[in-house]
Amino acid sequence: MKKILLVAFIFFISQETLAASGAPCGDYGECDTFKPELNNMESLQLGALTFINHCYGCHSLKYSRWGRVAEDLDIPEEIFINNLVFGKNVKLGDRMTGSMKPAVSESWFGIAPPDLTLVTRLHGSDWVYTYLRTFYEDSSKPYGVNNMVYPGAAMPNVLASMQGQQILSCKDVPIIASNGGVRRDDFGNDITEEKCGFLKTIEGSGSLSVQEFDELIFNLVNFMTYIGEPSRSDRERMGWYAILFFVVFTSLAYLLFREYQKDYH
Amino acid sequence: MTQKSSGFFNWINTRLPIVNTYERHLSKHPVPKKVNFWYMFGALASVVLIIQIVSGIWLMFGYENTEEGAFASIEYIMRDIEYGWIIRYMHTTGASMFFAVVYLHMFRGLLYGSYHKPRELVWVFGMTIYLVMMAEGFLGYVLPYGQMSYWGAQVIISLFGAIPYIGESLEIWVRGDYYISGATISRFFALHVVALPLILIALVFMHLVALHEVGAGNPEGVDIEKHLDEDGVPLDSVPFFPYKVLNALVAIGIFGIVFSIIMFFFPEGGGYMLELANFEEANPLSTPEHIAPVWYYSPYYAMLRAVPDKLGGLVVMGAAIAILFVVPWLDRSKAASIRYKGILSKIAMTIFIVSWLMLAWLGTVPVTALRTTLSIIGTVIYFAFFLLMPIYTSIEKTKPVPDRL
Repeated sequence: MKKILLVAFIFFISQETLAASGAPCGDYGECDTFKPELNNMESLQLGALTFINHCYGCHSLKYSRWGRVAEDLDIPEEIFINNLVFGKNVKLGDRMTGSMKPAVSESWFGIAPPDLTLVTRLHGSDWVYTYLRTFYEDSSKPYGVNNMVYPGAAMPNVLASMQGQQILSCKDVPIIASNGGVRRDDFGNDITEEKCGFLKTIEGSGSLSVQEFDELIFNLVNFMTYIGEPSRSDRERMGWYAILFFVVFTSLAYLLFREYQKDYH
Repeated sequence: MTQKSSGFFNWINTRLPIVNTYERHLSKHPVPKKVNFWYMFGALASVVLIIQIVSGIWLMFGYENTEEGAFASIEYIMRDIEYGWIIRYMHTTGASMFFAVVYLHMFRGLLYGSYHKPRELVWVFGMTIYLVMMAEGFLGYVLPYGQMSYWGAQVIISLFGAIPYIGESLEIWVRGDYYISGATISRFFALHVVALPLILIALVFMHLVALHEVGAGNPEGVDIEKHLDEDGVPLDSVPFFPYKVLNALVAIGIFGIVFSIIMFFFPEGGGYMLELANFEEANPLSTPEHIAPVWYYSPYYAMLRAVPDKLGGLVVMGAAIAILFVVPWLDRSKAASIRYKGILSKIAMTIFIVSWLMLAWLGTVPVTALRTTLSIIGTVIYFAFFLLMPIYTSIEKTKPVPDRL
């Protein structure tokens, strides 16, 4: 009886939780999972390259410093300055304050593009990874694109030349019966219905294949995850030592405790 | 050498009773020989208090208590100060762990009747500590000046406005301005780092002095003072040093493992310890979709929201904390420990815990009609547990409490 009650309670609670919270990635539903690789220097370096070349024009990383990025990403200073730092007066100790004045950008876009240092911490890397891959053509919007994760986003699809044209399409999908299986007709064929709202990239319209583009975004978001918390890989590495210390500490304390406990037991 | 140093200590001790105090309150202080893990959380709470004070001092080195600089200074600590991130996460994890440990410590008190005569004042000082901690935690949460700092403060400070007649002026007085601004941050900073910690330390001192006067309890609810040896030391006790120190060291070690796992691997605590919306600087023009307190306030926040009227909600929330203070006089049971209490107490305790946990969850999620109903039910159960305590503890049949531990 207790078990049944418990199961009923958990079911009730989980239904309740699902019902109230909207999908984390807007029209897209659940976000695609993103597993950062913070020790993959090549990925981080390529991500930094994409960010500086395609994002930094509008978005600052104002809590981060140039030199720290070069150091953490193992990029020699000279190569870093020549290839990633645009601006004659920028020093490595400076903060990455962006190249566009907020007042100007506000008049151009209606809203100043936000600083992105902490965006992966604010929305989660999953969200950013999904967001950047779900722009689609929508002629009703000022920039001709809309976004599934963040409908009405005031941002053009900056990477469209690489991704190519992505559109919303319709396709036939099997109808799921109430028992969870696919509904079939008398001859055993799946019964389908047309559903819309699926992203589709027009092949050959961009300079990268879908896979290559996903990889580009992976590296970019990997870099953005790093910049959100540059100490994260250190943190996760040092954590093991801290735990190990306390395990040894606890064992020794326990042995001593057990020995002394004999005095009064 | 030994003679020399003991001479030195004697010299000191005749002028300042350090040796006597050390022996009375630490080394020779008698503690019940048989206690369980529930009795470790008091020691752990003092460990966290030290962590919070030390890490807090270090955070102050880099923190800037201005409207323009607060948020950026946190990122400065996280990025530019060497190992600043360790200090910060220690403080944020410490805040949550402080409440976790104190909640378990309070629950221990309820479970084993630690407030029973003659420990009423120990309980009252403890509850005062909890109250000050709640204020301390709230003030500290505003300091990083993220979105949730700002809007959380907005919600909490506006509660003062619900008080009739003086509410509005009081609200402005607390904020130091007509809206949350630099004035609010700098006064919250002063209160968070100086005023409340001083009060907290003083209260902890009194909590301990009162405890040492009456002696620690035990899970059996046995009065160990009844059987003393020829020196007047309880027979069922052991000296604090080394026995209980070793006990505490094991607990501290296990606590250190848990603390490290959270701090190094889940510092955000899934958004319950560091709310994700707080990674965005405070913006008075944009309200977050969902304002929720950090987990340790959530049961009381759920009660606040359960009442449709603002003043009513405030009164209910205040009463929920206030009622805890009088528990020693609500419990009429002959037995202190739940082990010897009757079935009614056991049922009441179980329902209370389930509903408290439910309220804790409800306080963190957006409101729906059903959840509001659940919050009301939880609130009613919460109050019923305390208000009916004089009845169910006096009519139920208790088991005889043993004489010895």
